[in-house]
Amino acid sequence: MKKVITGNQAVAYGVILSRVDLISAYPITPQTTIVEELSELIASGRLNTRFLKVESEHSAMAALIGASTGGVRCFTATSSHGLAYMHEMLHWASGARLPIVLVNVNRAIGPPWNIWSDQSDSLSQRDTGWIQLYCENNQEVLDTILQAYRIAESVKLPVMVVLDAYVLSHTSEAVEIPTMEEVDPFLPPYCPEYQIDIQEPKAFSMIATPEHFLEFRYKIQKAMEEVPEIAKKVDDEFRSRFGRGYGAIERYGKEEAEIFLMTSGTVTSTSRIVIKKLIGKGVSIAGIKIKRFRPFPSKEIYEEVKGAKKLAIIDRNLSAGVGGIFAQELRASLYSREERPQVFGFISGLGGRDITPELIEEAIQYTMEHPRPEEEILWLGLKK
Amino acid sequence: MSNLIHFKGASEMPMISISLGDMDWNKTGAWRTQRPFYDDKTPPCSTTCPAGNDIVGFILKITQGDFEGAWNLIKQENPFPGICGRVCFHPCESKCNRRDYDEPIAIHALERFVSDFSSNLNRKIEKVSGVRKEKIAIIGSGPAGMSCAYHLARLHYDVTVFESSPLAGGMLRIGIPSYRLPKEVLDREISNIEALGVEIRTGTPFGENLKLDGLEDYQAIFIATGAHRSRALEIPGEKGKSVFSGLDLLRKINPGKKIKLGDKVAIIGGGNTAIDVARSAIRLGKKATILYRRSKEEMPAFEDEVVEAIEEGVEIRYLVSPIRIQQKDSLKRLECLRMELGEKDESGRRRPVPIPDSNFFIEADSMIIAAGEEIEVSFLPKGMEKKEGIVLTQRNGSTGIKGIFAGGDLTSNQRTVAHAIGSGKKAALAIDCYLKGMDSEGAIRQILIGEGPSISIFRHLHPEERTMNPHVVTFEELNTDYFEPSKRHRESKGLVKKRIKGFGEVTSTFTEGIALEEAERCFGCGTCNGCENCYVFCPDASVVKTEEILSHQVDYDFCKGCGICFSECPRGAISLKEEAR
Repeated sequence: MKKVITGNQAVAYGVILSRVDLISAYPITPQTTIVEELSELIASGRLNTRFLKVESEHSAMAALIGASTGGVRCFTATSSHGLAYMHEMLHWASGARLPIVLVNVNRAIGPPWNIWSDQSDSLSQRDTGWIQLYCENNQEVLDTILQAYRIAESVKLPVMVVLDAYVLSHTSEAVEIPTMEEVDPFLPPYCPEYQIDIQEPKAFSMIATPEHFLEFRYKIQKAMEEVPEIAKKVDDEFRSRFGRGYGAIERYGKEEAEIFLMTSGTVTSTSRIVIKKLIGKGVSIAGIKIKRFRPFPSKEIYEEVKGAKKLAIIDRNLSAGVGGIFAQELRASLYSREERPQVFGFISGLGGRDITPELIEEAIQYTMEHPRPEEEILWLGLKK
Repeated sequence: MSNLIHFKGASEMPMISISLGDMDWNKTGAWRTQRPFYDDKTPPCSTTCPAGNDIVGFILKITQGDFEGAWNLIKQENPFPGICGRVCFHPCESKCNRRDYDEPIAIHALERFVSDFSSNLNRKIEKVSGVRKEKIAIIGSGPAGMSCAYHLARLHYDVTVFESSPLAGGMLRIGIPSYRLPKEVLDREISNIEALGVEIRTGTPFGENLKLDGLEDYQAIFIATGAHRSRALEIPGEKGKSVFSGLDLLRKINPGKKIKLGDKVAIIGGGNTAIDVARSAIRLGKKATILYRRSKEEMPAFEDEVVEAIEEGVEIRYLVSPIRIQQKDSLKRLECLRMELGEKDESGRRRPVPIPDSNFFIEADSMIIAAGEEIEVSFLPKGMEKKEGIVLTQRNGSTGIKGIFAGGDLTSNQRTVAHAIGSGKKAALAIDCYLKGMDSEGAIRQILIGEGPSISIFRHLHPEERTMNPHVVTFEELNTDYFEPSKRHRESKGLVKKRIKGFGEVTSTFTEGIALEEAERCFGCGTCNGCENCYVFCPDASVVKTEEILSHQVDYDFCKGCGICFSECPRGAISLKEEAR
């Protein structure tokens, strides 16, 4: 059934179809309407899920850690300061190998106070051991949640599903909503490997001395390394069942391109139009959408860009002192390769400023005109 | 037991740091420095109830929809829920902890609901008296006498009640107009007591046909003859025609007799009798004015009654004291002095002092004197000590004479229905102990509600039941995070226009829905209602359930004494004590 719904409603549908047992969340704009929608369904008895009210995002994640250790599927959603407040518990969730799914609606972190979209909140959590998946449209949001539980429960790592504030969260578009009967065989109930059983009490997450700690971290890295293959299997199965798939990255545009433009989130949708127009004018360009940020799809990207001369990347985030975080990761992933394109790192759209087709064209123009970037950080649309 | 494993490498290790065996051997309870335990405590309402009702208990039954269970629980202590629910001054509500949060629970209205609901159940009451051979005589069928008879019957004694009037009920029948207490309710609750096997001999006045030496067959006697003599004003003219005592007038109105009453009625006094007379006069189509020598604050009548009287058109004149009644034809003139308030007297109220030369006159067709009631002493046996207008008794109701006990208005200046019920109950317990050769004072100490003075006869009958800590729960001891503000429900009242047309009941009984909502408001101070907060919050899974029900046991092998159960209990039903070191 197709419905015209917002990105936040698409999240709610994803959660309902995933048969989540427990939700715990604390309201924060622009996430709030997700848990509002869900809590109303629960309160009216139409959704048989437990909703645990808490006094903070830190507690929300702590509650999910408890519930997940108890062996149930659980969910939370947050944004910006809320995600930052969860930080300690995010480490705990991955360290305890709990397959929790969290939706983060990308919002800038203040000050100055700002409620609009950029990626500084989710990218601040890049080292917490969470898988991160970025979405381009509302359909992808719903589908990614269903996939996220499959991936999380396979590798025993938590997954953060990320969507842009307002551009997706509060904007409606047509979304195909699968039925429960269609989803159930794709997403079977969660079977935990270890689970609290008060009949046979065990100690969980107890101390690991220097003798063993390194090995536990090694296991997390190994699990991350399994993700590309498992995620691909899950995506392929999803495609065969529902006719839609996304991959870790998506390449579009010219087959043999000299220049690549890399984007994530909704900027990709705008880029698709710009690239199509430029190809029409004879420019040799292709686009790459990065969906999966963690684990970083180094291999998948290299396979696509290895013959290219230049690679432009637009970051809607800033790691002050370095530059765009996607650009930084990309450069690091290419460094060991003998043949590698020049990376042009653009920064734009912080705090929700629109990244317009004109700005994207300007970035491509700059990349075409310069053999190498004149600066590490190329500011796009900056009013100097 | 604990066994540290040295893994050779990651391939041997589990995914997470987890104990491979179970941890039952690790008795973490050994870390505990304080110990939580289930400890039901006394709610302030029950300890304040002179009749000793298990208020939190019966309200909890209402919330479970078990109205009959609620009725059974009240009846353990008090045979008169329908009466108390209507006419008690409900001191329980003034001590209700919810008063400090929003508004107290309408306990009286819930009690009335339970009684009225159960009266529709057509229950058959079994005779229980007369199993024991001892016979007990009770003089007076008011609330004290009938309460004593009720509890003695439940203790299986053979009980006979002697009543001077043609109908049982004492002051309940004579003194309380039917717009406050319908006769059906009174008859219903008295006949429930009779059904237990209590015999009531009406038309048998003590001191006339019935004398103490005629009661030799009875092994114990309880005298509860009340206070039925109107106190005189000691002013000239009060013995004149058309000057009635308040009680006499009520006695005539209540059985529905025709009485002669002038159009303008002046009532002298500030107690409940004065209010009852004035409101009755209004219902007979008269104009009623109350004259009271002190001010509103000192008035002994219940506040709700005063409010309703004023609603119905009763005029109250304060700081007025009559000094002489003069008669001219049918019209009477009352000479009065204006008063002012002076120093506090022995009752703690400010004494009214006449203002010199402030004399003025009030005209009325009928004068009613309702300045309080006194006990009749002429027929009391010799050897009974009397002081300041009451018969002196011990706490257990015993008089100076062996085997003779006394209670109710006769022995107390706290002349309320609830106090009378309580004193009858205490006497029943004392008589039981007396006949069994036991120490009744000791027995009373065992079953005090909180620090007393009320007692629970249920605990006397069921010593095996869980005991209750005498500590009275304070508002500060509750965790009000678990309660939401809500308005107290009020019984609906008839329109004044309709009320004053007759003697029909002024207020209506709660509906089931309203009763449930009001009962839900109860904090349940000190009483576990199985909310399971402790079970949910215990981080050590040490709150034990058996067959899905809280067992009120803590697994001390693993309880670390964190105290979360104690602090998250909404109603103070869990206590913490320090562990012995």
